[in-house]
Amino acid sequence: MSQANDYIELHASSAFSFLAGASQPEALAERVQQLEMPAIAIADRNGIYGAARFHTMATKCSVKAHIGAEIAVSSFGNTLTPPDWLPHQYPSEPPRLLLLCASQIGYQNLCQLVTRFKMRETTKAEGAATLDDLEEFSAGLICLTGGEEGPLAAALAHKGRSEACKIVDRLTNIYGRANLYIELQRHQQRDEECRNQSLLHLASSLRLPVIATNGVRYATQKDREILDVLTTIRHHTSLDRAGRLLNLNNSREIHPAHHMAALFADIPEAVVNTRTVSERLNFTLNNLGYEFPHYPVPPGQTMDSFLAQRVEEGVRKRYGSPAKRSLLAKARTQVQHELKLIAKLGFAGYFLIVWDLIRYCQQHGILVQGRGSAANSAVCYALEITAVDPIGMELLFERFLSENRGEWPDIDLDLPSGDHREQVIQHVYEHYGKLGAAMTANVISYRGRSAAREVGKALGFDEDQLTRLSSLVGHWEWRGPNDTLAHNFAQAGFDVRHPRIAHYLDLCMRMQNLPRHLGQHSGGMVICAGMLNRVVPLEHASMPGRSVIQWDKEDCADMGLIKVDLLGLGMMAVLKDSIELIPRHYKKEIDLAALPEDPLVYETLCKADTVGMFQVESRAQMASIPHNAPVRFYDLVVQVAIIRPGPIVGKMMQPYMRRRQHKEEVTYPHPSLEPVLKRTLGVPLFQEQLLRMAMTVASFSGSEAEELRRAVGMRRSMQRMKDLEGRLRDGMTRNGIGPEAQDNIVQGISSFAMYGFPESHAASFALIAYASAYLKVHYLAAFTCSLLNNQPMGFYAPAVLIKDAQRHGLRVRPIDIQCSDWLCTLAVEPDSSLSLRIGLNYVKGLRQSSAEAILAARNQHGPFASVDQLAARTPELNRKELVALARVGALNTLSEVEHRRDALWQVEQAGRPVGPLLRTAAPTPIVSNPLLRMTTVERLAADYAGTGITTGPHPMAYQRAELRQQGILSAQELEGCVSNRTIRIAGFVIARQRPGTAKGFVFLSLEDETGIANIILTPNIFEQNRIVVTRSRFLMIEGPLQNQDGVIHVKAQCITPLESHGADIPSHNFH
Amino acid sequence: MNPNLYACVRIAEFPTQALLRLNTQLASQPVAVLDGRPPLQTVCSHNRHARLKGVSLGMTRLEAESISELHLLPRSLETEAAARIVLHECAAHFSPRIEAASKDTAATCVLDITGTERLFGPPQTLAERLHSALDSVGLRASIAVSSNFHTARIKALTSRSIIVIPDGQEALALGKLPLTALDLAEDPAETLAIWGIRTLGELAALPVSELVARLGPQAVAWRNLASGTLSHTFQPIEAEFTLKEFCDFETPIENQDSLLFIGARMIDCLSARAATRALSLASLAVAMQLEGNQIYQRTIRPAIPTIDCKFLLKLLQLEIAAHPPQAAVLSLTLTAQAGQSSKMQLGLFMPQTPEPSRLDVTIARLKAIAGEDRVGSPVLEDSHRPGIFRMQAFSVPMQTHKAPTMPTESSHPRMALRRMRPPVPVRVQLNAQQPVSFRSTEQAFRVSAAYGPWKTSGCWWSTDGWNAEEWDILAENTTGNSVACLLVHNCALNQWQLEAYYD
Repeated sequence: MSQANDYIELHASSAFSFLAGASQPEALAERVQQLEMPAIAIADRNGIYGAARFHTMATKCSVKAHIGAEIAVSSFGNTLTPPDWLPHQYPSEPPRLLLLCASQIGYQNLCQLVTRFKMRETTKAEGAATLDDLEEFSAGLICLTGGEEGPLAAALAHKGRSEACKIVDRLTNIYGRANLYIELQRHQQRDEECRNQSLLHLASSLRLPVIATNGVRYATQKDREILDVLTTIRHHTSLDRAGRLLNLNNSREIHPAHHMAALFADIPEAVVNTRTVSERLNFTLNNLGYEFPHYPVPPGQTMDSFLAQRVEEGVRKRYGSPAKRSLLAKARTQVQHELKLIAKLGFAGYFLIVWDLIRYCQQHGILVQGRGSAANSAVCYALEITAVDPIGMELLFERFLSENRGEWPDIDLDLPSGDHREQVIQHVYEHYGKLGAAMTANVISYRGRSAAREVGKALGFDEDQLTRLSSLVGHWEWRGPNDTLAHNFAQAGFDVRHPRIAHYLDLCMRMQNLPRHLGQHSGGMVICAGMLNRVVPLEHASMPGRSVIQWDKEDCADMGLIKVDLLGLGMMAVLKDSIELIPRHYKKEIDLAALPEDPLVYETLCKADTVGMFQVESRAQMASIPHNAPVRFYDLVVQVAIIRPGPIVGKMMQPYMRRRQHKEEVTYPHPSLEPVLKRTLGVPLFQEQLLRMAMTVASFSGSEAEELRRAVGMRRSMQRMKDLEGRLRDGMTRNGIGPEAQDNIVQGISSFAMYGFPESHAASFALIAYASAYLKVHYLAAFTCSLLNNQPMGFYAPAVLIKDAQRHGLRVRPIDIQCSDWLCTLAVEPDSSLSLRIGLNYVKGLRQSSAEAILAARNQHGPFASVDQLAARTPELNRKELVALARVGALNTLSEVEHRRDALWQVEQAGRPVGPLLRTAAPTPIVSNPLLRMTTVERLAADYAGTGITTGPHPMAYQRAELRQQGILSAQELEGCVSNRTIRIAGFVIARQRPGTAKGFVFLSLEDETGIANIILTPNIFEQNRIVVTRSRFLMIEGPLQNQDGVIHVKAQCITPLESHGADIPSHNFH
Repeated sequence: MNPNLYACVRIAEFPTQALLRLNTQLASQPVAVLDGRPPLQTVCSHNRHARLKGVSLGMTRLEAESISELHLLPRSLETEAAARIVLHECAAHFSPRIEAASKDTAATCVLDITGTERLFGPPQTLAERLHSALDSVGLRASIAVSSNFHTARIKALTSRSIIVIPDGQEALALGKLPLTALDLAEDPAETLAIWGIRTLGELAALPVSELVARLGPQAVAWRNLASGTLSHTFQPIEAEFTLKEFCDFETPIENQDSLLFIGARMIDCLSARAATRALSLASLAVAMQLEGNQIYQRTIRPAIPTIDCKFLLKLLQLEIAAHPPQAAVLSLTLTAQAGQSSKMQLGLFMPQTPEPSRLDVTIARLKAIAGEDRVGSPVLEDSHRPGIFRMQAFSVPMQTHKAPTMPTESSHPRMALRRMRPPVPVRVQLNAQQPVSFRSTEQAFRVSAAYGPWKTSGCWWSTDGWNAEEWDILAENTTGNSVACLLVHNCALNQWQLEAYYD
């Protein structure tokens, strides 16, 4: 007789079976813990996607996590489907076997098996294994024959017992009698029981053991509803139409052991065998066998010694200059300290590999810079991985690496987005092999809108209803107390008590965060010594030439897999393009690593004249930068870091700004903290300061302090946080710090640790911010050209960037078929100044291949003489493209073209297809054009509609006289107004924001021909004018002006829409 | 020869006007009409008062509800159809030739009033009388008269009351109208817009050959339309062909034979009228006015349209026999829907089949007796719901040449199940959640073996979900007879039923 607790669930699929399982792995582990089951095996479809988080959670729940997978096998025909005489919509797909990892070899084989058939596909696809694959990767695996998805169910139903016998024979040959179990499942269905009797007979005749499982697809009964919805999504149908695709009943939950024992009371050995198998499954993800690659070093050297040599070379290079020689000794001491720790932790190979990547970038002219906490390391600085001098800036190494942290360092590299980044990624693939490196995955999960849409489809709502329902899911960053889904629905006229709407709401909530499919991470690459496909399965990404592993970055971190983030940064591409343009057009060389500290740059920053600059261009940055008034690099570091949720929520920003303006006395929570907080005027702003504070006041070691920071950063580690807080307070008490100061310090630490910014990261970003500011101030044409060529990026639309550049004196030339390239270019004006020529890439609807054909024709035979000649010489151009070019005035420089409408009149004829008879005939002479010249407003509308930009005057400039009559001021005129005076201002809305930290306040940026005005809307005013504010492109605002130390805001009281002139300019909303 | 003359009548905001025509109290108040399925309703039409309050087309119900004093009415296609009949009747007083030209939510028709001057006076007078006639039936119209059909139609779009365009002045009259009046497709409309062509006059001024070279041959029609010179072939509305017979009895009839005697004559007339148009009778609606102000209504639908009077009379007889009137009949109305006669192509080598009409008669008889949805062949539905099927019309199975399937080990003979229709409610005694005995109103059984429960549940998202447990039972009654049966426990209602016996 079996014991009630003998049963172990060995066949459970999670939501990581992607639309074939309804519970998160964590939910499965928690449920098993509740049921006091000692172990459970996860088996997702064709992979181990959910295994890592399942293992992590199971470890927390003290449940043993067995790892397995349901593997599709193409050699066994198709899965069981209902008989032909029953209507059904089952697709044909290969049956799946359940393979469980008994040992590390088994796990490695499973990963290789999955990789083998996944990579055999030419694109991203499910794939299926063959018998040869199974045979090759069979060691260390235990095979269960599966339930209705298995090969035996189909064989018994379609071809009878003899076929089932053949399959079992094949599997016995592959896995051995000891490793093959005939699987029995009981979901209280007649057909299944009939099959079970056949399976029992088969097992008995072949003397094979049977085993009970429940083929779990969800943790609890209620989740059957989610599975049904997921099933409809998978089969592109609705619940009403899904029919037999849905589950017959809700018995695929995790049953308690006693329930399973009762279900299998007549076959007790099936239950007992679950425990036997569980005991044989010795593998867990704790012994993954992952190893970071060794860096090949010359004979006689170790990686540590080789690294030390490279670092010493770097130190000499970095600190050898007379300006930095004073830091040399200190730098040597620091790198010794760091190298010692690196050697102790065995990380030398990692540093060398990243260094190798940096060298590759340098050799191939690719701009690269490390970001994040790596900038705290003098070793990284010496190896040129980072550009911030941690010695000069007194950065804290422990934030980057500490002995007790038990995890690998994390180095993120910023690369120019686009082809250069792809080049580096492909280099890594080539260097480490297709099976030695892969991108980390990015699990695409259901969020508000996607869940709302998919659940709506499942419930059979039509397209109109879906659009309306999903539009109700708000996308503001800030949400008011009434912004619940139910409230939104009620407001939109939906009866939330209607059963279908109630189900809809409930399902939308429950679908949140369930995985939808696997994408690839923006830049994380995992590399491995040996074969990565033994550690985790690899598969094709949607993007050609890329492969991904089945885990995301958190899983990689949890499992100890090391990744190097190769991130694309638009501004890096801008810098790179700029430093290529500057020598060509300004005859000057620019070294980004040696830009001088320039007062003019700081003066520009202080005026918040920062459109287009990295990190300091946002509305909030512009509002605060004049208060901070940066005059040296470190001020910019603070500026980059201070407009973050951490300092704002932690109420650090205002005190810092007041102290900066000498409006408040600089004080310290405790005198001993003065050296730590002096640079930030007594206000803790950086994570490194938190560490140093703990080290100073409570005598924490560097690694203890880092542990404290991480504990504060993790919401769920309350107990750990309490322990550490206790230790912190004890330490402070020992150091004689009073209770009040202790409270201040603890409050300071906890309020911003969660969101706080590492100083090193801020410094890395500040370097790029300064470089962008320097280039904008001194090389406006090159910088603007590069910005326009790397869109979309940054905070502002190209239209705003162009207007800003024009206000700064740059001449911007319109698109011209005779001289524009595909990208924007620089040209020399007759007065020797530089101007910017807009590229053909800004013509909406013009394909790049067509533009290249234009350039080729122009380069080959010179400028085009007429519209007809243009059409004849570039047959690739279709009529619509010719119209698009004519509409934006790109053909105005052709002879015989007097104005845009003239060109439009001509292209309509030239662009029409001509039959073979007339193809060689001379073009019909153009009769005089009957169309009128475009008016100014029409030209403006055509510019915005055709390119999204205009090189002519700002739309507001045309109305200025009229506006002035109405007493409406320009943005520039606001500077001369006194505070609290009620003024009227009008302009184009270039940004709308409702930040999470602003308690419902809405911020608008209005642009006119003179500059940008900042508008604040109270929550009440916003609610009263919601539609006008969110929909109108041009607004007139009336309200009192506030001028705080040069930062000017208008507090809106009256909002009126203005006529738009057809200028359809995109704005930057709600971020 | 007198030129043609057309009067276009346009009733703007027709859904609103149709509703307010009968509800004059609301006429002076803001009213908007909502269209669409709840909860996604939007304003499709409104009156002037509503517009002044800020109502616009496409507004959602929620947005409209926020406007004070606004009356929101649901759109009624029936009311609009009735109002349209009134419009046409009214127009028919002025000309027998009327062409319908409705578009969007406006009701538009064009009257051919050529040669009506001696009857109604000059066009202006006719238009005024027409306007006043429509006004008297509660419809506010704009009327445009022109010798060009399209000019009248387009001008009526923009005029508010009456406009008469003198012959030869069409281009002038249309010249300032916006291009949108032409209702062009998106592509040419966009081209003309970027050319800066905004009015019909500007379009008409473009050189025709140049225009055709750029916009294709259809540009000629647009240009002619814009200049008021496009000709039109008038397509008058034909009077609706209705098959209706009515008989008012002098004395109330209680005898069915008498009723059928009259009915037979009426069917003969209807069939003969249909036959003159080579049509058959697809359905026959029977309406009787009964004593006590009651109404009797039934509809007979033969499986195929027919003019076989005997057959139709037989169906009428069956229908009346099955549903006899509950009082003496005062009047009888038969209204038939016309349909195409049935045809079937026979083949030389096809086996003889029953005459289609005879089979149809039989099916029609069966349907008349059993109900429309209860005759045909049963088809299983794609659902786990126990016992679910639907009836579909009989059809000749397609010849398929499937290879005979080899019997497999699993294809053993299946046990047949005899369903109880309806299932028999039983009381079940359980022990350890297993049935041990059960009792119907007639017999008691002791369970000797029970297999189950076989669980099935579904449709949890709708109100007709099910959740049942089935048990296969071997049981003995008190006389020692054993039965194999299927017991079903409805978990939601906690009810047991004897669903079937195993044969």
